[in-house]
Amino acid sequence: MGKTEPVVGLVFFPAFDWCITPDHPERQERLLYTRDQIQEEGLFDHPRIREFRPRLADPGEILRTHVVLPSLERNITESHRIAAGGTMVAGDLVVDGVVDRSFALLRPPGHHANRIVHGARGFCVINNEAIMVDHLRSRLGPDLRVAIVDTDAHHADGTQDIFYNDPGVLHISLHQDGRTLYPGTGFLSERGGPAAYGQTVNIPLPPGTGDEGMLMALEEVVLPILEEWQPDLVINAAGQDNHFSDPITNMGFSAQGYARLTDLLAPDIVVLEGGYSIESALPYINVGLLLALAGLDYSKVREPGGGRRSQSREITRQVAEICRQAKELWDTRGQVDLKEVFGSGPFFERRRQIFYDTDQIMESQQEYIRLCPSCPGWRVIYTSSTRNRTPAAAVLLPWKPCASCQGEAREQYGELEKDQRFSQVIWQEPKSGAGQAPTNLRGSEPR
Amino acid sequence: MYLIGIDVGGTHTDAALLRDSSVVALAKVPTDHGDLFASTRKALEEIWHFYPGDGPCRLQLSTTLSTNAIVEGKGAPTQVVAVPGPGVNLASLDLPFTVHELSGYIDHRGREAYPLDPQELQGLRGLLGRGEGEAVAVVGKFSQRNPAHEQQIGAELSKWYRGLVTLGHRLSGRANFPRRMITAFLNASVARRQLDFVQTWRRVLQDLQIPLQEVLILKADGGTMTLEASVERPIETILSGPAASTMGVQALTSRQEPNYLIVDIGGTTTDLAAVVEGEVLFERDGAVIAGYRTLVPAVLTRSIGLGGDSELHFTPEGGLVIGPRRAGTPLCLGGERLTPTDAVSALELAQVGSRAKAQAALEAKGRELGLSWRALAEQIIEAFVHQLAQAVESLYRELEGMPLYTVREVLNPPDLRPQAVVGLGAPAPVFIPKLAEALQLPHEVLPHSAGANAIGAAAAAATLSLTVHADTELAKLTIPELGQQEDIPRPLFFDLDKARSLAEERLRELAKERGLGESEEIYVVEEESFQMVRGFRTVGKRFMVRVQLRPQVRRVRG
Repeated sequence: MGKTEPVVGLVFFPAFDWCITPDHPERQERLLYTRDQIQEEGLFDHPRIREFRPRLADPGEILRTHVVLPSLERNITESHRIAAGGTMVAGDLVVDGVVDRSFALLRPPGHHANRIVHGARGFCVINNEAIMVDHLRSRLGPDLRVAIVDTDAHHADGTQDIFYNDPGVLHISLHQDGRTLYPGTGFLSERGGPAAYGQTVNIPLPPGTGDEGMLMALEEVVLPILEEWQPDLVINAAGQDNHFSDPITNMGFSAQGYARLTDLLAPDIVVLEGGYSIESALPYINVGLLLALAGLDYSKVREPGGGRRSQSREITRQVAEICRQAKELWDTRGQVDLKEVFGSGPFFERRRQIFYDTDQIMESQQEYIRLCPSCPGWRVIYTSSTRNRTPAAAVLLPWKPCASCQGEAREQYGELEKDQRFSQVIWQEPKSGAGQAPTNLRGSEPR
Repeated sequence: MYLIGIDVGGTHTDAALLRDSSVVALAKVPTDHGDLFASTRKALEEIWHFYPGDGPCRLQLSTTLSTNAIVEGKGAPTQVVAVPGPGVNLASLDLPFTVHELSGYIDHRGREAYPLDPQELQGLRGLLGRGEGEAVAVVGKFSQRNPAHEQQIGAELSKWYRGLVTLGHRLSGRANFPRRMITAFLNASVARRQLDFVQTWRRVLQDLQIPLQEVLILKADGGTMTLEASVERPIETILSGPAASTMGVQALTSRQEPNYLIVDIGGTTTDLAAVVEGEVLFERDGAVIAGYRTLVPAVLTRSIGLGGDSELHFTPEGGLVIGPRRAGTPLCLGGERLTPTDAVSALELAQVGSRAKAQAALEAKGRELGLSWRALAEQIIEAFVHQLAQAVESLYRELEGMPLYTVREVLNPPDLRPQAVVGLGAPAPVFIPKLAEALQLPHEVLPHSAGANAIGAAAAAATLSLTVHADTELAKLTIPELGQQEDIPRPLFFDLDKARSLAEERLRELAKERGLGESEEIYVVEEESFQMVRGFRTVGKRFMVRVQLRPQVRRVRG
């Protein structure tokens, strides 16, 4: 955004009375030191940083994006509803022009939550960014173009899953290589579904990648792609576990690096994801991030004590190679024969086993996507898990479905409803409201 | 017990004499801005006539000494020595004073990450000089968690510096480094004046031969402190006037609702304050004075430029906007421009000045606008009430926008909305009933409204607070307001109850030391308790407890 003095809306919700279990990384204490640091730096009080309350997400707002089995109530707590609601507040603040940028600094996180939810994976149950994106499209219309840049050290497999076949969303995930870290996915070859091929961009970075490598990926891959794709909104899913002191990852990012990344990316909306070095990293990263977001001087932000190793020359070489390949895949996405990848129809079939590490659940999924020439195509997903053993079926319409897909999906739903084998048959159809004109989107201003 | 309250206002200095909870007398003298001391003394002499002498008497003073010095920029030349560590660049903050940055850092847990540099400490001598007639504020980041650096710098200064020194941690246990710097800077800059003021008062009381048992000074939080305490912490005396008014309202109102709105309508401005569950709301971080954001605990008041003497702006579309500037004396009182007071006078809503003059002026303006004088006057009253109601709405919107950090609070947000309106000020009898009608609330217009501020000053009680930060992993506890940091002897057995009783015990001792009674009730304003887990093991607990003497106001009978 061209603004040199942006006003930042901060939706801070540390959920000081909520945890997964008292000694889990997702516990009451997680944002305590971050609050202390932001408060001591006087940033809650800064004229360019305005604090806003989160709100409770309605069940309908969550179920617009997710299929939750056996029911929403059995899976989420009030804290999840507030985190999703707070993220929607952050989105609304920007599109309504109340502030120029916003930061949903809240927990629990969401980027490992898939469209189908049987329980918690990677500490996440419902996907805050995805719920916000669908909320904004329901308000502003399905033509909104949203780019999500996920900088968490873990691959954003949930967000990728939700928008995998969604042409309205560009999903870029930078993360520690899946061969070395949960969830074990996010390779260059994962490029999106038939209706959004190439719009899933994965940049797997080798363990030990530091500021230099992350910023290289940003400057050589992410920024050129965004420049070309011209999104209306850029969302940064800002995990803070790339930090060199994080206990559950192996990366070498610093607070200065995060601030610099924020400065270069200039996102409209930032949503906190992971980050579990709660004392040594988060306080400094979040101060740097807020300062950079508000266009303020972050040059003196650094974590005391040091201990950062700089990136080895070998890693620099590896990162450069991955960047080259990722950019090439992007540049050549239009030249791929989709029939070779997805077959010639009428359906593309995908079978998956999905592991829920937090709740120790295994899910089996079978998905059929209608390969439709005039819309992204309707889908049916059959799913069962070690928690919900009787299979459920979900019939999903995309945003802007064509008439024929609507008809076919209806018919399929009618048949499935009569089928006794399924515990539940779910119908999901995203709809747009009045289609108000957005007031403050990127498209109206030069980047 | 007799109580004298004096409030130095912009136009008048008001005095009130109470006997226990009844008003014995009120007095009023014009404020002499050239010699505030003289007019205050005059008010005291006036009210003293009514003192029958059959019981001890205490004087409670709300002064504008520090407020004026800050607003007019007349404090002593003051520099700041800061230990900012890594974080926000101080150079980017546009601070209105010279800052000497020292290296060193205390982190968010209160651990020393980097020590002070002895050479830099030595170097201060050259930077600050002997400081004759000057002052220094010493402020470190997270000094409320560990005051060691500030104390080391203070010890160095005491060897050779002659000016007054304020250490940041003594003023507040709250986080916010920029505000702590500003608060300490302002405190240091007005400390000399407060010292002179206190010495002068002591002399005068001897000269006047008035057997006052005690003299207390009013603070921005509506409480009182001793003269001695005011020398150390003069910054707390700022904005005590508006605080005195809200205390006056609490003392005088007969409304029983737990939540109500206070509306003080004056000539130039209207001040709003909110009472929730029987207690007046405070600023979240602290008072803001002359654009300086401080950590001084203060009654939350919002002032709008709307009053009996406000300007009227007629828009081409036939609308009317009142204020925010003052037009001057109303026409009916011999002024030159039309004001809301003239509409009040013409409609005979109250007897003010010459009704004929007011009506003639309204007729002239009405002819211009194609309105009868009566229609115009009614439009003015209506616009006044409308703007007032809007300001009330935006106050409560602001209050309801205050962040909430727990699931429990989000599910059950506190109910702040008023259940009644209590008004004071000369125009209040006209506008308060109409405002209450617009808000659909019951109302009360206070008797003695002219003296509510002085009555509030007389009826206020002592306030005192302190903070305990305890970290059982580090086995350390800090009470910044007392400059204390000590070891927790048996950290494993230290819990929130222990932190709480320690805080209460220290506050009770402090109250005794400050000459306050032992009867005052202590209550916990804020507390936090977190388990600290590293790896998958609990390594300790962290507690924060803030306690204070319950702010009390004597209910006063009119």
